[in-house]
Amino acid sequence: MQLSDYEPIVGKGSIDDLRSLASKLSGKVIQNINSTFTGGGVAEILSRMIPLLSELGVDARWGVIKGDADFFEATKKLHNALHGSDEKISAQDISAFQETSRRNIKELELYGDIIYIHDPQPVALIERKKELGKKWIWRCHIDVSRPNETAWNFIKPWVMQYDAAVFSAPSFSTPLPMRQFLISPSIDPLSDKNRELGQDIIDSVLSKYGIPNDKPLIVQVSRFDYLKDPVGVIQAFKQVKRSIDCRLVLAGGTATDDPESGKVLAEVQDKAEGNRDIHVLLIPPRSDIEINAMQRAATVVVQKSLKEGFGLTVSEALWKGKPVVASAVGGIPLQVKNKFTGLLSHGIEGTAYAIRQLLGNPEYAKWLGQNGREHVKQNFLITRHVKDYMVLFLTLGRSEEVIYL
Amino acid sequence: MWSDIVIPLAVFAAGLIATMWLRRFGYKALDRWAKRTKWQGDEIFLQATRVPSILWCLILSSALALAVSVVTPHWKHWANKGLWTLLVISLALTAVNLVGKYIPLYGEKLKTTQRAIAMSKNAANAVIYIAAILILLDIWGAPTTAIIFLIILAAVVVLVAFRETLPNFLAGIQLNARGQFKVGDYIKLDTGEEGYIKEMNLTETLIESADGSTIVLPNRKLIQSTVTNYGHLMKKAKEPFRFFNRVHLTELTGLKAKNLKELADVLQNAPDSIIYYHTHHFLEEHHYLTPEPANDFAVWVSDALGDDILGEKLANIDAFEFSTLSALRERIVNVIGEHISSGQEVRKAAEGREFYFMKSASVVMSTPYLARDLREFVEALRKLSLGSLYFHIFESRLRLGRVTNDFSVWMKDSLEEQELAEAIEKVNPYTYTLEGVRSQLITLIEKRIKCS
Repeated sequence: MQLSDYEPIVGKGSIDDLRSLASKLSGKVIQNINSTFTGGGVAEILSRMIPLLSELGVDARWGVIKGDADFFEATKKLHNALHGSDEKISAQDISAFQETSRRNIKELELYGDIIYIHDPQPVALIERKKELGKKWIWRCHIDVSRPNETAWNFIKPWVMQYDAAVFSAPSFSTPLPMRQFLISPSIDPLSDKNRELGQDIIDSVLSKYGIPNDKPLIVQVSRFDYLKDPVGVIQAFKQVKRSIDCRLVLAGGTATDDPESGKVLAEVQDKAEGNRDIHVLLIPPRSDIEINAMQRAATVVVQKSLKEGFGLTVSEALWKGKPVVASAVGGIPLQVKNKFTGLLSHGIEGTAYAIRQLLGNPEYAKWLGQNGREHVKQNFLITRHVKDYMVLFLTLGRSEEVIYL
Repeated sequence: MWSDIVIPLAVFAAGLIATMWLRRFGYKALDRWAKRTKWQGDEIFLQATRVPSILWCLILSSALALAVSVVTPHWKHWANKGLWTLLVISLALTAVNLVGKYIPLYGEKLKTTQRAIAMSKNAANAVIYIAAILILLDIWGAPTTAIIFLIILAAVVVLVAFRETLPNFLAGIQLNARGQFKVGDYIKLDTGEEGYIKEMNLTETLIESADGSTIVLPNRKLIQSTVTNYGHLMKKAKEPFRFFNRVHLTELTGLKAKNLKELADVLQNAPDSIIYYHTHHFLEEHHYLTPEPANDFAVWVSDALGDDILGEKLANIDAFEFSTLSALRERIVNVIGEHISSGQEVRKAAEGREFYFMKSASVVMSTPYLARDLREFVEALRKLSLGSLYFHIFESRLRLGRVTNDFSVWMKDSLEEQELAEAIEKVNPYTYTLEGVRSQLITLIEKRIKCS
């Protein structure tokens, strides 16, 4: 994708802003470091952001640390623990993390004027700050609002040495000695998951999965995970169904690294058993157009998570102009301003009530959907993400709150 | 025979009397017509043809006399050629005389340079002389085919060489005839170019844009585009207004509150930037909503604490009434404090729904827009990004402590437009969306321009 492709969507002014900011970063090298070039949200974000930054003339590069299976086993546990789970981090894990970090600190070439470290895996590279100087940013993509104390205390000595930290939601931040910034993730309006689709494609996807287009459709797109509460969605749906005839689609995949997901899927299928209006669909990976089509076919999109990182599926639905009912967790309240860009709920009854409100008041649902799309356009598209990155780079080393360029 | 002489002489005399009488009658009628019309060209025409027309009467009378004379056909033939030669030469000289007077007349009207006038005169003279020579050669039986071919070839070469200029030249004549624009008018083309006309000539029009650069518009473009003419030059400001744009990044503080007491405690000691952020960020973030949500404190108290009464009180605090952030902070803290001391039930936000204190880091950049008068200002205002409008209206007033918005300051100090500045100051931007503010300001300024 090229910047000009986004101009009809976000307007010339936004693209001009990006060009102005980029011109002020000329000569600076931004070195992004994470743990993998493929798979995962960070790699996806960087693979989209780096070409756009390069097109703007910003010298942004991307490298990865090296690690063996033990290291990645340890970082996975660390990741889960920082998310708040009771994951036990053994002495072996700590040793594997430290050993690999030492090797990367020694071997990795660090040449950027700004070194942008993503997530906890490469966090220890900061140990070279004393030797190299430069500006260092730690970008935390995970929810560390209620971390496992052992895990947080383990990485905290490194985190505290950074010049700035970046979080995805206000609740993820915690008192730290350096400046902290809020940069929400973003969606790409031109990707297969979000681009406009013709009605024929939508119809063919519905027909492929055997979903008749005869009743209002309630859709939740999420992997089968207890934290996404698919069983709660079914319960809410059953309550709605008492007064309004509708269908429910629960579409998602199972995560290969999550042994529980198969169990969750089985439980969901069990709860849906015998109800012809509930469609539990196991969508294979890389089925972005199919996910897109289901969201576009929806009358109401639900995201009834019990815990959420940012919950970008909400922005995806809002971008499609759909009225959304979502739980007020993680980054969802940033996307759904209650009664303005969607409806927030706090439980099964609240979700059922909100869905009924939307199904019974299509004009209100349409108004919310339109506001939601506009909200995403202003705040959660990739162009805003690129802008935030550049403002962050320009802000580094400046103590003023208003910087004149 | 005496009649061989007398008859031609009589015919000559009669012809001369008749043609002179016709000439006199004709010129009298033309003089009356010239007096009635305002066209300056009629005088030139009459002056340039008055004397040569006597010669044309003589030539015509001579031709009639020659026709009735008994001279041999051979002499008649040569005499006719002589008369035609005289007629062609006198017509060519008269045409040269007319062109020499008409071109400067229209050149001046079009404010064309002297060089362009001289070039046009030379070109017209060349055409007349070439035409006259060709006619004379034809009269005297000289071969002209090769010459005509060469001339056509030269004309084609000239047309190809000036294929771009010629349509502009014709458009220049058309523009002048229409008289829709004049030097000093502010024009705007549908293709985006705009500015004051500083020069118009036969082929192009020069306009000065707001940033002081000169845009050269081929006259053909002016004819083909939809052009809005805003009219006369406006009063110039002592200093131009430079529009800035602002982008921002939200900064997290790590501070949070789960109940009213904690909210008030943090607010008491929080930097102004936190107060500013939570009372303003939604104006830009949700500018598309009508009505916009209230300030963050009011929304949180209503939504997370379920205290609608306090929520209403906080929503009712109008930031427009305060000229400093510390005064605004004091009011917010007082409203919360009064509510706490009234003994209301202490409510606590659910986990994850605490109030997170934030502020913003702004980056201010220059824009290509600059205004030296109200017309340029209002045209820039129409195109300004919302970030830019937000910066000059909200950020400058409270965050940068300039007491009022940047536009009013400039209008007062640099343009001496006291009344307009005050009218803009009175627009409460907190009650409109950003687009609504833009539209209000444009209406006020356009009204002022109409009255000037």
